[in-house]
Amino acid sequence: MTYETLEVRADGPVGWLAFNRPEAGNAIDARMFVELEAAWAELEADTSVRAIVNTGNGDSFQTGLDMKQLSTDPGALRASSRQTREFALRMTSWHCGVTKPVVAAVNGTCAGGGLHFVADADIVIAAEDATFLDPHVSVGQVSAFETIGLLKKAPMEPVARMALMGVHERLSAARAHQLGIVSEMVAAEALCDRAGSVARRLAEQDPAALRAIKQAFWNALEAP
Amino acid sequence: MSYEHLIVERHGPVGWLINDRPDVRNAMNSAMRDEFAAAWTELDDDPGVRVIVHTGNGRDFQTGVDVGEIASDGVGMERYRRSMEDFDVHFTSWHQGVWKPVITAVNGICCGGGFHWVADSDIVIAASDAQFFDPHTSVGQVVAIEAIGLMKKMPVETVMRMAFMGRYERMGAERAYELGMISEIVDPPDRLRERAQELAETVARNSPAAMAATKKALWGALETGLTDACRQGAQHLVSMWGHPDQTEGPAAFAERRDPDWQSL
Repeated sequence: MTYETLEVRADGPVGWLAFNRPEAGNAIDARMFVELEAAWAELEADTSVRAIVNTGNGDSFQTGLDMKQLSTDPGALRASSRQTREFALRMTSWHCGVTKPVVAAVNGTCAGGGLHFVADADIVIAAEDATFLDPHVSVGQVSAFETIGLLKKAPMEPVARMALMGVHERLSAARAHQLGIVSEMVAAEALCDRAGSVARRLAEQDPAALRAIKQAFWNALEAP
Repeated sequence: MSYEHLIVERHGPVGWLINDRPDVRNAMNSAMRDEFAAAWTELDDDPGVRVIVHTGNGRDFQTGVDVGEIASDGVGMERYRRSMEDFDVHFTSWHQGVWKPVITAVNGICCGGGFHWVADSDIVIAASDAQFFDPHTSVGQVVAIEAIGLMKKMPVETVMRMAFMGRYERMGAERAYELGMISEIVDPPDRLRERAQELAETVARNSPAAMAATKKALWGALETGLTDACRQGAQHLVSMWGHPDQTEGPAAFAERRDPDWQSL
């Protein structure tokens, strides 16, 4: 498939899924909403791909749903509303049931719905100048899925603070690293190289073992 | 209502609940326990209050139950025991179902039962000289509820260590910050209230209804697994659809003005 809003490619055993609407902070428009599901499926099905890197082109990593664009496309708005209401989203690797290891490489601003891709990845690394924020409550929206995912994996207080501060505060990459939301912080220009080498190392492991570990760990989050 | 052991104040959109038994390091007796229940409800019901700050008067934040008084007043102990057996307690914002954002500002020592208010609030900041420890086991008591609440929200090892070390070890604000038990250290310590007010005013700039629904989604997630939590979160998320704040938010943003939110 050809993609307009994503850059999807295989580089040896490493699959790359890069958000590619840099002029719009990589926000998810109607087109990207559909392409994400297709891209995860394609990388999951490609037997040469053993690990996947998810990053963003341009200054931002991902800034969530592009509500302005979506509201001009009634069909897409209806689909996203239905998927939200029923929690039947198909945006992240977790939503789409990807069984291969996923490394999120946060290259810049990660806002609101962008946090989905941090919460739902297996390994998260970030550029030193990456920042995290959750603007939902500042525009009258509820923060739920992304921050629920994060609080299952990281200390809750900083996650709740991010949700309640809205646009008025950002979490730095350094603080996210300290809290264990990301495991590695690298210079911005070295991020892609480092993400690629982490993914290549994962690709050297036994795929069946990684798949079993991934399934066991994510299942463990399903216990009350 | 007037309070003997608490001070309830309002500063702008911020409601303050201040522990006020400084002579006994703000330990909670039976009367104070009843006052907590009333004070949380009073602030939650006040449409002028958008965010609540909780702190302590005197040197220390809170040091748990006033065991001396509860054991000797003839009714306190039996009442306390029964309420714990039934987990029928009403002294924190979580117990009282407060869905406004709650900020705990820890001054000085927070020990034993004091952790209830750390575990049960949304945002926790502390003065740089704050200290945390859990003396229950050093006096032959079991710690359960407040430690269970904490370990749902932060690394478990730290909570277990505090529970087992009792009064023989204290954790400083710096370590609490590193671990994500608190999100900010205020230095010098005497700036704590000023900073808490400032932080609360910032939170108060966000949609009250959206924050209440967000709180329900996040606290609900502690009760269940990831997928179920997201399904329940979806209900809270959808509950805001059609709310006036959802058009007011983007409109205010486009017009570069402060939003005029609906009161809860």
